[in-house]
Amino acid sequence: MKTLIIQDIDQNGIDVDLSKYTLFQMSERVKPCVGCFGCWIKTPGKCVIKDGDNVFLELMPKVDKVMVISKLTFGGFSPDIKGVFDRSIGFILPFFETVSGEMHHKQRYEKRPSLQYMFYGDNMTEAEKATAQKLVKANAVNLGAPDCSASFYATPDEILEGLK
Amino acid sequence: MKILILNGSPKPSGSASEKLAEGLAQRLGNAEITMFNAMKTGKDEFVAQVNAIDALVVVFPLYVDGLPSHLLRLLDEAKGEIKSSARVYSIANNGFYEGQQNHLALEMMRHFSASSGMEWGQGLGVGAGGMVGVAPFGSGPMKNIGKALDKMAQNILNKQNGDDFYIQPNFPKFLYKMAAHRSWYSQAKGNGISRKGILRGD
Ligand SMILES: Cc1cc2nc3c(=O)[nH]c(=O)nc-3n(C[C@H](O)[C@H](O)[C@H](O)COP(=O)(O)O)c2cc1C
Repeated sequence: MKTLIIQDIDQNGIDVDLSKYTLFQMSERVKPCVGCFGCWIKTPGKCVIKDGDNVFLELMPKVDKVMVISKLTFGGFSPDIKGVFDRSIGFILPFFETVSGEMHHKQRYEKRPSLQYMFYGDNMTEAEKATAQKLVKANAVNLGAPDCSASFYATPDEILEGLK
Repeated sequence: MKILILNGSPKPSGSASEKLAEGLAQRLGNAEITMFNAMKTGKDEFVAQVNAIDALVVVFPLYVDGLPSHLLRLLDEAKGEIKSSARVYSIANNGFYEGQQNHLALEMMRHFSASSGMEWGQGLGVGAGGMVGVAPFGSGPMKNIGKALDKMAQNILNKQNGDDFYIQPNFPKFLYKMAAHRSWYSQAKGNGISRKGILRGD
């Protein structure tokens, strides 16, 4: 069972021992997706911006689970984590198919990770948490994840304690 | 009446968001309209403008069921400094056919307006964003979208709130899908990528 962790708690890496996980270190200010669709029609499956944050997409098909530790921001990810996800849509194909009456994309990979989102923050409202619960489900449909969950914590330390 | 329209598409030009923003602006009579692009707007400039307006309209593409990261960053950085009685309106457009798929992104925009102390005016989700602009708003496949822009413009001018609503072009889903697939094949071909090449999974 291989778990890939992306987190926005500490730029310099986390000091508790998480060696049983694959830790993705994103850059300090993740460059945004520019909407070029190069990851579909130029370098299929790869982001055209080669700055290290593109590597997340390349790791996704190799793991069983993606675990996201993020500050809850308007009911979703914080901006840097969102930047990495935006730049990872090469994980799926440009072609459409219909899933339970709604249009979605065809999958590029047969093996796809499940999604576990762990959100923290001091002033999370119930409404924001409800959005995040729906977000993980919507992302799971779009990314073809076999399983998904979202949970909430007052502090990042609470999350790290649980992971040790 | 002063209105700020913030374009949240990262595309330098020709985005669906830009076309929707222009279509809305044309329906706002002689209001004083400022247009900002979130890619080129700093937090201070944005906050100063928001603090001086009656309505903020954020027009953006749906990215992974939410806001594009650069727009999210701008709104997140600004929220603590906004002191404005402006109402917030938002138009999200997406690649899939159903406009309804923008609903989570519009919820996020509501959370932004709540956390910055502004009142939520109305949200509109536009599906099949790839088609926006194929005809003038209000005619042919853009008929519904024209009507939706009329409705939102009226609410903005009357300083009224409205229910969030979702639409797609007057165009069948299967044809949208076919057109999209043809366009991917031809764009890939232009880059020297074959039909099989698009599918690569190494
Ligand atoms: C990184 C990225 C993520 C996207 N995620 C979604 C999505 O979750 N659902 C969807 O329907 N369309 C999605 N799209 C498609 C865009 O919303 C669509 O192309 C839109 O029309 C672009 O608007 P614009 O021209 O204003 O930038 C995504 C596009 C990109 C580049």
